[in-house]
Amino acid sequence: MTDIKNIKHKAFLYDATRCIDCRACMMACSVENNIPMNKTRIWVAGVGLKGEYPDLDRASMVYHCMHCDDPDCLSACPVGAYSKRPDGPVLYDHDKCIGCRYCMNACPFGVPHFDYDKGLIPGAFIDKCTMCPQRIDNGLEPACVATCPTEALMFGERADLLVEAHARIQAHPDRYIDHVYGETENGGTSYLILSHVPFSELGLPELGSKPVKDVSEAVMGLTIPFAVTWGAVLTGVSVGVHAYNKKKEAATEEPAEAEESTEETK
Amino acid sequence: MTNTLSRRDFLKLGGAFAGALAVGKFIPPAVAQAARDAGHLDANNNGYIPSMCEMCVWRCGLLAKVQDGRVVKLEGNPEHPHSKGKLCPRGQAGLMTTYDPDRVLTPLVRVGKRGEGKFRKASWDEALDIVAKNMLDIKQKYGPEAMVFSSTHNLSQPLFENLLQAFGSPNYGTQRSLCFNAMIVSNLMTYGMEEPDRDYSELKYIILTGRNLAEAISNSETGELIHAIDRGVKVVYLDPRFTKTAAKATEWLPVRPGTDLAFHLALLNVIITEGLYNQSFVDQYTIGFDEVATSVRQYTPEWAAKITEIPADTIRRIAREFAAAAPFALAHNGWRTSNFVNSFQTQRAITILNAILGNWGRTLLPAGGESGSLGAPPQPAYPRVSALRLDGVPWKYPFVPLKIGVFQQLRDSIVAEDPYTAHGWFISRQNPAMSLPDRKKTLQAFSKMDFIVTVDIIMNDTAWFSDVVLPEASYLERYDPLLVLGNRAFLRQPVIEPQGEGKSALWIYKQLGERLGLSDFFQYQDDEDYIAQQLAPIGASLDDIRKQGYIELPEGNSELYKWNTPSGKIELRSETLDKAGFDGVPKWEQPPAPKSGQFYLLTGKDARQTQFGTQNNQLLHKYDDEPGLWMNVKTVASLGLRDGDMVQVTSDVGQIFVKLQATQAIRPDCVYMTPGFGHLSKGLTTAYGLGSSSSDLHVTYTDPISGSQALSQTFVSVKKA
Repeated sequence: MTDIKNIKHKAFLYDATRCIDCRACMMACSVENNIPMNKTRIWVAGVGLKGEYPDLDRASMVYHCMHCDDPDCLSACPVGAYSKRPDGPVLYDHDKCIGCRYCMNACPFGVPHFDYDKGLIPGAFIDKCTMCPQRIDNGLEPACVATCPTEALMFGERADLLVEAHARIQAHPDRYIDHVYGETENGGTSYLILSHVPFSELGLPELGSKPVKDVSEAVMGLTIPFAVTWGAVLTGVSVGVHAYNKKKEAATEEPAEAEESTEETK
Repeated sequence: MTNTLSRRDFLKLGGAFAGALAVGKFIPPAVAQAARDAGHLDANNNGYIPSMCEMCVWRCGLLAKVQDGRVVKLEGNPEHPHSKGKLCPRGQAGLMTTYDPDRVLTPLVRVGKRGEGKFRKASWDEALDIVAKNMLDIKQKYGPEAMVFSSTHNLSQPLFENLLQAFGSPNYGTQRSLCFNAMIVSNLMTYGMEEPDRDYSELKYIILTGRNLAEAISNSETGELIHAIDRGVKVVYLDPRFTKTAAKATEWLPVRPGTDLAFHLALLNVIITEGLYNQSFVDQYTIGFDEVATSVRQYTPEWAAKITEIPADTIRRIAREFAAAAPFALAHNGWRTSNFVNSFQTQRAITILNAILGNWGRTLLPAGGESGSLGAPPQPAYPRVSALRLDGVPWKYPFVPLKIGVFQQLRDSIVAEDPYTAHGWFISRQNPAMSLPDRKKTLQAFSKMDFIVTVDIIMNDTAWFSDVVLPEASYLERYDPLLVLGNRAFLRQPVIEPQGEGKSALWIYKQLGERLGLSDFFQYQDDEDYIAQQLAPIGASLDDIRKQGYIELPEGNSELYKWNTPSGKIELRSETLDKAGFDGVPKWEQPPAPKSGQFYLLTGKDARQTQFGTQNNQLLHKYDDEPGLWMNVKTVASLGLRDGDMVQVTSDVGQIFVKLQATQAIRPDCVYMTPGFGHLSKGLTTAYGLGSSSSDLHVTYTDPISGSQALSQTFVSVKKA
């Protein structure tokens, strides 16, 4: 096995068919990262008791930060509190955060959560999974993975995990949905998911292969041209109105002026 | 109600008792010094120390991450066969048990009325003197048998047993009769061993009879089952509840409670009448096949279908599939199966099923058990005991092993003062106020006592009713005797200094022994010396074992096809049982059923809690589900109730108030609650006031063969509170 430190693109593989919803991962994370007793960085939701007695099915899902290849939180953050390490983890810097919560709105998975009870204490706003840099940089798996009694959580090179995930689907096509969630979702994530029930039942959003931020950035990219253009329009209108008033006074007509000035700014 | 720690408190707790260790870098305390010598800690006292978990009885190996005298994280030890590098939620939360703000840190002596919870601090000398004086007074006035001892399965139990046997009392209660006596006695009768090992490596088909491995986690075995499912092993799971194990099973059979025996008898019927068994294995290694064959002839799948509510063709199909998968098949003997008085014969049917298919040697192996190669301190013979045991072993329960006993009967005899009166109770690491059925009666038993002493790390409910509480060091703070697994002996060693004045059981029992005039039975200087004497015969020292946390033992020679039964074979028919007037081959015993308007009261496990001892752990509490009463959605509607209603639940012996949880995941004729909630002790600030106790409802029913408490044989009515 490759030394964890040397893995180029670190990722998780979560297999919902192996998860027994024991919550050892949550305990391990809480202790490892000294999480306050009223907070958590991992949710295990027993999302699905499905059906009617006695025809029942159940699924559970371990929610982490997805550590997107192209993170929306990072893109949305106005002060650069987020960073993406080349080997996978999406990190957050408490000291830079101003508590605007744009990242919460931007993340399609609802991962960053806000310390509402802490008010406006600088640096205490947002919390989320870090992929345990203090462990992975020392050759250890993240705390949640290391303790998982059924190996529902695995950690490794993203490309290898994708091979493993597809091999599992191929070996048991009857057991799995034929898709690895996170392979392409939101431009690819470092948290890959295998499931026996539709991903929507695990509470995961249906996303295209382009990161949400590409869409928003495309829109946001128009902001300046739009502002300038609109500014010019308003200026033109204002000038036009002024001119019109003047003309009204002078009883002459020159209506094309505003349009002309719009053309010039293009 | 719940006292939740803030982040700062949590950090502070971690450091609370490390204050004295601030100078530890210069004068390391004993634990740190030993760990430094063993190479576990660096010059700054940081590093990992191997030891063993005690959050349940599975005893996983752990690596404790220690920073300057504090344990900050626990990891599974990859070298230990029970953890294989993993820890379950309880194991991960173990440091919160050690740093529980409710830890009892000094000996306590009761000052208020019993049960009032008023204690004063005392020195160890004073507390031990009080305990010894009371024990000696009772011995002098009423004889040693008037002193009752009880404790739960743990590594220092041999020393506890030493104390009671040296004292001369026959009265010993363990938790086993509330757990898996039926399995143990059945295995003893069939194989001559308490519990054969199970092997999942080549498994193709498994029948789990109420063994909820995904929630009643036995770390390594739970992992093995999930990996087996991954490989495509077929899992048939019998349980009236759709548990998390049911969700992983290939086939879930919501069997009617108490009828698992009928299901297994019908499997035997099909396999024998269709000739699907392993003739050569049966001929060579078993006795009594013909009697079994004759006996099960009447138990057809059609017969069983009416009783179990599992369709006949399902039973027939499973029998055929299971036989086809043999010998890579396993009828898991579970721990408690259905928990009815017929559970012993259910267990017998399971053992017979494995035997006639020749699964032995493939999925079932001889128990690893104790190695004879370890030493022990010398000691004289125990005094002869002539008094009868209050729990009826063996005069009422001839087949229950002496070291296991029938705890609920012990309690009943205390209350009845029959055949004689008990006056004192010594309790270690046990909480009968929660664990025994019919709690009212247990409290009555306490009230009969002149003197009660409890050894524990927190103010558990039994300690709350005690006269003296002796604070034990937690499992991360002490040594225990070694654990033998296969050909290795594993060490539990302290990873931090004991907090407050906590002491190890090895120390406590020795101190008491000396005050009771029994020092010859405790011939060791201290904990380290005890382990050194254990290691002496194999020429190893404590330093040797400290390094890895285990040491290799000389190869034992366990023979695969050897059984310690009277015949030396697997006893399909037990002559021993026959002679005692019980059924030597399993026969159908009709269990009682609830009357109209009543429900089966089921109890089970939750992956965050171990029995009655972990509910005060704030970290487990943080991630646990709210305790409540499960009831099928349709039943809820038919009673005019609603999810979340507070309901009154009444049995023949008590009543509780509990929040209703409407769910699809249970038979409509059952209700379920997770035991371990509804604590009485206000000294448990997290657990007190949380949920209700099934022990208030459980009616005492004892199986006459195994002494097992039939925990599911309690029927309740439910109405809006």
